[in-house]
Amino acid sequence: MPDVALNIKVKDGAIVEEGLSYVISSWDETALEAALQITEDVGGEVTLLTIGPDKAAESLRKGLAMGAHKAIHVKYDEAKESDSFAFAKILQKALEGRNYDLILTGKQAQDTDAGLTAPMLAEFISLPQVTNIIRFSDVSEESITLYRKGDHGTEVIDMNLPGIVTVNDSLNEPRLASMRGIMMAKKKPLEEIELDSLDIPAEMRGKQGSMTNVLQFEKPETRKEGQTFEGDEADTVKQAMDLLVSESKFLA
Amino acid sequence: MTKILIVAEIKNGEIKKNTLELFSFAKSQGLESEAVLLGSDVSGQADVLAGQGASTVYIGDDASLEIYNTEQYTSLVIDALQQSQATQVWLTSSEMGRDLTPRVAARQGVGALSDVTQLEINVDEITAFRPCMATKAVQKCEFSKDGLRVISIRSGIFSAEETAPAPANTVTLSIPEGHSQLKVREVQVEESDEVELNEASIIVSAGRGVGGVEGCEFVRPLANELGAAFGASRAVCDAGWLPHKHQVGQTGTMVNPDFYFALGISGAIQHLAGMSGSKVIVAVNKDPDAPIFKVADYGIVGDLFKAVPVLREEVGKLKG
Repeated sequence: MPDVALNIKVKDGAIVEEGLSYVISSWDETALEAALQITEDVGGEVTLLTIGPDKAAESLRKGLAMGAHKAIHVKYDEAKESDSFAFAKILQKALEGRNYDLILTGKQAQDTDAGLTAPMLAEFISLPQVTNIIRFSDVSEESITLYRKGDHGTEVIDMNLPGIVTVNDSLNEPRLASMRGIMMAKKKPLEEIELDSLDIPAEMRGKQGSMTNVLQFEKPETRKEGQTFEGDEADTVKQAMDLLVSESKFLA
Repeated sequence: MTKILIVAEIKNGEIKKNTLELFSFAKSQGLESEAVLLGSDVSGQADVLAGQGASTVYIGDDASLEIYNTEQYTSLVIDALQQSQATQVWLTSSEMGRDLTPRVAARQGVGALSDVTQLEINVDEITAFRPCMATKAVQKCEFSKDGLRVISIRSGIFSAEETAPAPANTVTLSIPEGHSQLKVREVQVEESDEVELNEASIIVSAGRGVGGVEGCEFVRPLANELGAAFGASRAVCDAGWLPHKHQVGQTGTMVNPDFYFALGISGAIQHLAGMSGSKVIVAVNKDPDAPIFKVADYGIVGDLFKAVPVLREEVGKLKG
C-alpha cells in the first residue's frame, strides 16, 4: 500500500499516483514481528500471504528478509477495485486446503483505515477473532492468551486455535531486516498464484464482488492557519489564552 | 421502510453519549430507530433509549455479557435484527463497534462502512464519508448492492439531544451459549471515574516532552481542573508512563473534542490522524518545527513545565 507518512495528494476525485511509495502497512509489520516472536519461542513457521499486483512481491521479499519462512502472492492487478468483503472472500479461497494455527494481521490497513477484512474473513471461515491486541502470552498448540485494548480497559481473552488476531502497533517494535536476512530472502520460497487458478468467478471479483464502492476521494478539510507564540511562557500562554477565550469561546 | 437498529453502548451501568448521538441523528432525519441493549444488569436503561426515540428495545441482560465478547454479542445483534427487520444497523466505531461491525455484516452476507464521519441518508440509499490514509484523504462511499446497511460511526460527529426517559417497549432476547472458542477471563480496568476520551469536550494530552511519570502527574491537574479527559501520545503509553487507555491516535482513541491541548507532543502521523478533527487545538512544544504546529490553532513554542502553571492559573481565573 502507499506510504501514508508521505504527502498524499487528491486530484479530480482520485489519489494522485505519482510520487507514491509502496510499503508494508505498519500494523502488518507489527503482526509479522509477533508471528516471528511466536515461532522463535514455540517453533513452527511463518507464511506471508498477500493479494495484489506484481509490485506487491517487493513487500513479500521484505517480509521474508525480516524472517518469514515463505510467502504466497495471489496475483491480482485490480485488487484496488475490491472492497473488504470481496477481499475477505478471496482470502477465504486462497486459504482453502492450507493448514495454519494462527492468522495475524494489522488492526486496519493504513490506506483504507477500514479494519473490516480480518473479522469478515474470520466469519467466512468460522474462526474466532480477537482484534486490537497489545500483548499475548501462553501460546500452546491449542490456545493463546490475548490482551485486547477494549473500551473500558484491557480485556484478557483465551482463544482456541486456529483463530484470527489483529494487532495494535503498541504490541511490539518490528525488527529491521539484516543484510544476511536480505540475502537469505532471495532463496526463500515465494509461491505465485494466479487469481484464475483459485476458482473465483467473475461475480466475486472487483466491483462486482464488492458490497461497497468508493465514489471518489476528497481532500480532508484543511485547518485554517494557526497563530504561533514565541517568547517567555508567562506572556505567550496569557496571549494564547486571551485569544482562546475571545476568538474560540473557551469556557464560555 | 427504513428502520435503524442501533447497538447501544454502556459504561458503569449508563448509556454512553456516543449511543445517544446516533439516536439524536436518526430522529433528526425522521427515521424510525430501535435499540439493542446488551450487558449485565442493564435492563433499567431501556427507558433512556425509549426517551431517545427507540420504538423497541431488544434486551440481552445476563452476567455473561458484562464484558464485551464477539461470539455472544454477534449472535444477539443478529437475533435482534431478525426480529426487528431493520434495514440498517448502526454502531459506534468504539473498540466494541470495530470488532462487531464486520462480524455482523459478514454473518448477514453484506458489506459494511466503518468509522464514518458524515452520513447522508435517502431511504436506504446512503452516501457516507470516511477519513482514510491517516486522515490525509476522505472516501466518499456508497453501498453498491441492495440489502442490509451496516455502518459504524465515529463518536462526537452528531450532537446528543437531552431527553427524559420514557416507558420502553421491550423484547427480551434469549442468551446464546458463549465462550465456545473464546473465553474472556477478565477486563483489567486501569482507572475509573475519569472522563473518557471519546466523550470529552476538552482533552489535555501529554507527549514525550513530559519526560516521565512525574511529568504526566505535573500535567494531570490541568485536565482535572478543566473537567477534561487526560490523553497521551503513543510514546507516553508505550513507555508505561500512562496506561494505554489514555492513548490518542489511530492506535488509541480517535477523538474530536471542542478543545485539544497537546503538551509536549511532537505530532507523529498516527497521533495527528487521531486528533486533527478537534475544533480548536492548542499546542505547547519546545521545537518550533514540530508537526503538531501545522494543525495547531494556537501554537506556543516553549517549555511545557513553564507553560502548564500559567495555563492552570489562567484557567483558575476563568473558572472564577
